[in-house]
Amino acid sequence: MLVLLPAKTIGAEILRPYGPVSPVETLRKLNHLLLGNWPDEGREFISFIVAFKNYYFYVLIGVLGVLFLHYLIFGPRRFEHRGERIFYYGLFTRLVHWGAALSMTLLVFSGLATLFAKILGGGSLVMSLRSLHVGAAFAFAPFAILLFLALVKDMVPAFYDLKWFLVMGGYLSRQPRPVPAGKFNAGQKMWFWLGTAGGLVMFYTGYKLYQFTAPVSFLREMLKIHLYLGLAVLALYFIHLYMSLVAIKGALKSMLSGYKDSEEVALMHPKYYEKVSKD
Amino acid sequence: MERCIACHGCVVACKEGHQLPVGINRRRVIIINEGKPGEKSISIACMHCSDAPCIAVCPIGALYQREDGIVLVNKEVCIGCGYCFMACPFGAPQFPRGNAFGARGAMDKCTFCAGGPAPTFSEKERRLYGQNRIAEGKVPLCAGMCSTKALLAGDGAVIADIFRERVARRGSGQAWGWAKAYKE
Repeated sequence: MLVLLPAKTIGAEILRPYGPVSPVETLRKLNHLLLGNWPDEGREFISFIVAFKNYYFYVLIGVLGVLFLHYLIFGPRRFEHRGERIFYYGLFTRLVHWGAALSMTLLVFSGLATLFAKILGGGSLVMSLRSLHVGAAFAFAPFAILLFLALVKDMVPAFYDLKWFLVMGGYLSRQPRPVPAGKFNAGQKMWFWLGTAGGLVMFYTGYKLYQFTAPVSFLREMLKIHLYLGLAVLALYFIHLYMSLVAIKGALKSMLSGYKDSEEVALMHPKYYEKVSKD
Repeated sequence: MERCIACHGCVVACKEGHQLPVGINRRRVIIINEGKPGEKSISIACMHCSDAPCIAVCPIGALYQREDGIVLVNKEVCIGCGYCFMACPFGAPQFPRGNAFGARGAMDKCTFCAGGPAPTFSEKERRLYGQNRIAEGKVPLCAGMCSTKALLAGDGAVIADIFRERVARRGSGQAWGWAKAYKE
């Protein structure tokens, strides 16, 4: 008799699990515990990862190709390096720059190795490069902060930076003409902000991925940010490398000695040249 | 789910049988409403999905699917990037710690007790992936251990028939399908 009465009328909740309770509610609850946010973001994440591997490939090939073409068409820039020299980078700035440069180089190449692990065959080789990526990140972070503090006062965006972008920094011509730029041009400013502020974001997101203890939904977000920013860093890293080592002769020397040629400063950083000549 | 009594026998069997280190959980038991009316539990591991997300995102192709549907990982190729973990709906991939800088090692997950890509019954296979019970003609440890036979292993169609019969006998009516899961 008792079993024929609905559980509610008996008022005995304890009977519920033993009867044929609708499993739908239970399944829903379990589903959430099991899958988390996967039903909302899982598919999107998968297509994102699959697509992004190609983005890196395209950007890498694209940037290197464009730089190579630029070199073929416009060639490198040479300055006389006979005239007056202007002191440009202090010792502290130079040291911090090279510290950041070295760790950044390790980061870029170990990061690329992780992304294109298939070419390297994976396994312990890539695994150790991934460990190197972590180590280099910890080396890079303090340099990023110091570099930021050392240069930020000259890196504030100004209105003439827009004009610099409009003429593409004057790099699309063989004839060097004065371009609107202060101590640092808009391209350098872009690299600065991406490298230091963006670099610290990279460090935070990378650290979270390294810990791998946060909720998986958060980790997915971290990875997305890390990959998006990494793409930009990759592009600007190679552009910076090209400018300083190949396109502008003497740029490397100036970062070593701290002095720039006055003719170069007058052309490429006229607003700073005016300021210095006045002093 | 109706049969599981949360004894964790499957978890223990799996860990012991494959000699997994602490922190690697190929199988786990989830419990809802613990200690309350309506308490239910279920044992979860890799589902060996037919269209597995982990295989799709793996940047190196370390994950693959056998012809019989078992999804396996090649630990000698895996770089421990963790993409599979982020793509997996069930949290199946596990990562050991302890490399240089404490970075993740190669991924470990349920192998359906089918070993790995290393030669069957070799010492390397046992060390990297655990027992290969499938090659011995046995069911996976968890299913063999399960005292209430909530966990079954075998051909999908056969298992589905057994489960359907169980549900029908229990008399809860139709307990599967889109309408039941999402509409009601």
